[in-house]
Amino acid sequence: MNKALKMILFTILSLGLVMLAACGGKEEPQTAAPAEPEVQAETEEQQPEEVKEAGEVNLYTSRHYDTDRQLYDLFEAETGIKVNVIEGKGDELIARLNSEGENTEADLFLTADAGNLYVAKQDGLFQEIQSDELFKNIPANLRDDENMWVGLTKRARVIVYAKDRVDPSELSTYEALTGPEWAGRVLSRTSSNMYNLSLLASFIELNGAEAAEEWAKGIAANLAREPQGGDTDQIRAVVAGEGDVAISNTYYVGRLLNSADKGDVEVGEAVGVFFPNQDTTGTHVNISGVGIIKHSKNVENAIKFLEFLSSVEAQKVFAEGNNEYPVNPDVDWSETVKSWGEFKEQNIPLSILGKNQLEAIKIFDRSGWK
Amino acid sequence: MRLIQKVEQHFNMWAILSLVFIFIILIPNLLIGYNLFTEPTDNWAHIKEYLLKDYIYNTLVLITFTALFTMIIGTSLAWIIINYRFPLRNFFKWGLILPLAIPAYIGAYTYQGMLNYSGTIQYTLRNTFDIHVSSQKFFNIMGIPGAIFIFTIFLYPYVYVITKGFLENQSASLFENARLLGGGPFTIFFRAGLPLSRAAITGGVVLVILEVLNDFGVVSYFGVQTFSIAIFRTWYGMKDLDSALKLAGILMFIVIVVLVLERIIRGRKTYSYSSANFRPIEAQPLKGTSKWLAFSYCSVIFMIAFIVPVTQLVHWSIMTWDRIFSPEFAKLIYNSIFVASIASSIIVFIALIVGNYTRLHKGLFPKVASRVIALGYSIPGAAIAISIITLFVAFDGVMKSVADYLNLNSALVLRTTLVMLTSAYIIRFLAVGYNAIEAGFEKIGTTFTEASRGLGSSTLKTFFRVDIPMLRGAIFGGFILVFVDILKELPLTLFLQPFNFSTLATQAFRYASDEMVQEAALASILIIIVSAICIFYFHKVLDKEKS
Repeated sequence: MNKALKMILFTILSLGLVMLAACGGKEEPQTAAPAEPEVQAETEEQQPEEVKEAGEVNLYTSRHYDTDRQLYDLFEAETGIKVNVIEGKGDELIARLNSEGENTEADLFLTADAGNLYVAKQDGLFQEIQSDELFKNIPANLRDDENMWVGLTKRARVIVYAKDRVDPSELSTYEALTGPEWAGRVLSRTSSNMYNLSLLASFIELNGAEAAEEWAKGIAANLAREPQGGDTDQIRAVVAGEGDVAISNTYYVGRLLNSADKGDVEVGEAVGVFFPNQDTTGTHVNISGVGIIKHSKNVENAIKFLEFLSSVEAQKVFAEGNNEYPVNPDVDWSETVKSWGEFKEQNIPLSILGKNQLEAIKIFDRSGWK
Repeated sequence: MRLIQKVEQHFNMWAILSLVFIFIILIPNLLIGYNLFTEPTDNWAHIKEYLLKDYIYNTLVLITFTALFTMIIGTSLAWIIINYRFPLRNFFKWGLILPLAIPAYIGAYTYQGMLNYSGTIQYTLRNTFDIHVSSQKFFNIMGIPGAIFIFTIFLYPYVYVITKGFLENQSASLFENARLLGGGPFTIFFRAGLPLSRAAITGGVVLVILEVLNDFGVVSYFGVQTFSIAIFRTWYGMKDLDSALKLAGILMFIVIVVLVLERIIRGRKTYSYSSANFRPIEAQPLKGTSKWLAFSYCSVIFMIAFIVPVTQLVHWSIMTWDRIFSPEFAKLIYNSIFVASIASSIIVFIALIVGNYTRLHKGLFPKVASRVIALGYSIPGAAIAISIITLFVAFDGVMKSVADYLNLNSALVLRTTLVMLTSAYIIRFLAVGYNAIEAGFEKIGTTFTEASRGLGSSTLKTFFRVDIPMLRGAIFGGFILVFVDILKELPLTLFLQPFNFSTLATQAFRYASDEMVQEAALASILIIIVSAICIFYFHKVLDKEKS
């Protein structure tokens, strides 16, 4: 008797579990993309022709801006191609793509750092992009040399200074910030941040590993406080008087200036943007870029989507939305960005940033820059 | 003959189910362990020389102080609420759980947002009172002390909920006897309350420690170099999975030490109802100063851990409302609740089965089983994610070949469904549900179960007729803790989400990770509201059932 009862319960429990699991699965077409073959097959049978033709494109992205979503919607409205999105951190998405291998559903990988693009290429995740329109819209120096990825927006990493305490004539280069006159006046976020890693990676390329390590040590020694917070926190600390200069990306200043918070606008107005190394190697520039996944099942749609993203229409949205620099030379900068003026950029292939990444990590660790 | 009986006794339905569940939990752990003993790479020497000492030191400081403070706050609050009556007590009873609804990393961004130079506090001082703060020292929350503060105020509810649930069902006679023997309130607390609640308290503190070990958001924002930072830096930055796994191994070792310590603190004695003469504790009214002291204590904690950050978030939400709000938020709420309730239900179910089994059976396997459950909580979310994805890719491959073999034109692809994400939640959060339910089992002991079995009822009948009704508080408590945890969960959701599937937490993360905490406020507030409703609802249900 006892045993029978146990058997029955066991069956009920197992069924319950299976049903719960099935519930999770059944819900999927509503909440998730109909990316699996099962649903596609159904679509072919039941849906009218044009829907089938329009199809979809699956995007893994580490950019999380609302303007990006706006662009996906615009593209969808124009072409009928549905953009399915998974958002995450760049390095985690690479790890996911690697573990999914040829079974991946992804068509495109978009990320906000050239280092990540390099890594994705090294891991063999990309295929060569072929599109004349794309190459017309995006200058060669902002594309991979084998066209495995293309840049979509540019961002500059600059020196932000307190207008009331620092005369821009005191500023010159990133290297000069290691001098004794800057002791206890420099602010930066932690060295494990991608932006700092790419910055140091560029110095390894331009000045050699030894000079790069000297630089990291010099900055670490001149820091006003232990590295903490994000770039915005460094800018605020400059205004609060904790230090006099901060290393930061330009768009954070733009964001403060355009903030809904009065306190933030005050902070944005109290700092100046200085483009370093204008007489030497140029200011460090990084990109957001995108590549087509090797095992993509929607290559044509992916290319259409990339052509759209590089178009004047889309580039304008990109540039205005986050105060970044458009890659398409035909597109105007936003008013905020224009106010900082023109500048000379570092002239290095961007894949270097990824190539030197591991060395940069080790140099930072040795330098004592936390 | 006796051997057969023994075998039967051990390998019944409960054992089989427990075994299956534990095996599932173990899979990601095994996948990590498998790679653990490889030759160290070049990077390992570098990590050892420049990083390891700092990482271990910072991690230990962080967990030691957070554990200490959450224990003091959580236990004292539970004790006061259960034993005394004072103004707003009925509100505090569930209100003090609410800080749990605030994801720690959002709490960190919020406090930093309030305290920094352009934040509410300094801005008001400057522009309303014309006070210019010359030193930022008093406003700087970023760093180890700040991280301890953030973890303490947002994690103490773990200790509070579990301890409160335990005390609520203690027989009043225990403490009345202590009082009759002449003990003052403090003597009763330290001599009777504390020792009795040991299992519940340590259960809560262990959850806090595991949560801190696993945190990435707070420590990376505050620039505190901990193990989870080291693991991600090694894995993603250096692309060195082997070294990352070695670090994860060290982390697991710390967790095992914590779990063993828990056992030692818990001691060998078990405390449970010894007689059927059960009468819940009747709260005594407080008078005069002590009444207001109790009230102020609860209020201050509630203010710091809930009202202040929530007010700031509401303010930001209003400020950014017109840009941020979209009808899509309804979908985000639906997604969050849907996936959290499914995973929480399954977790409670598994915890009940394994908990019941390990309680009724002595021996090595049940003992090991009850500890293995917690291991999922010790692995960094991203590591669980990687092993889960590897597993599902393989599984989908098998399904595909089966489908091909059967000539079906399509196979079920679990990877694009929520099944993958739900499985990850279960592995990760089983410990939370289990600890709550285990504390409940410990409290009811085995006397009643044995009596019921002695009267001829089967284990199963006993389970439903005797155990479950007595466990109701623990079940609800466990469910809420898991539910709220999943609602806030980030790394797994980010990593394993199907296409176009976002939750409130991933939405909040989108903005916060890009230093747009004001824009993250709306999603954060919604997480808090949903969690608050759950906490309130379950509190009501529990209260009604008691009366």
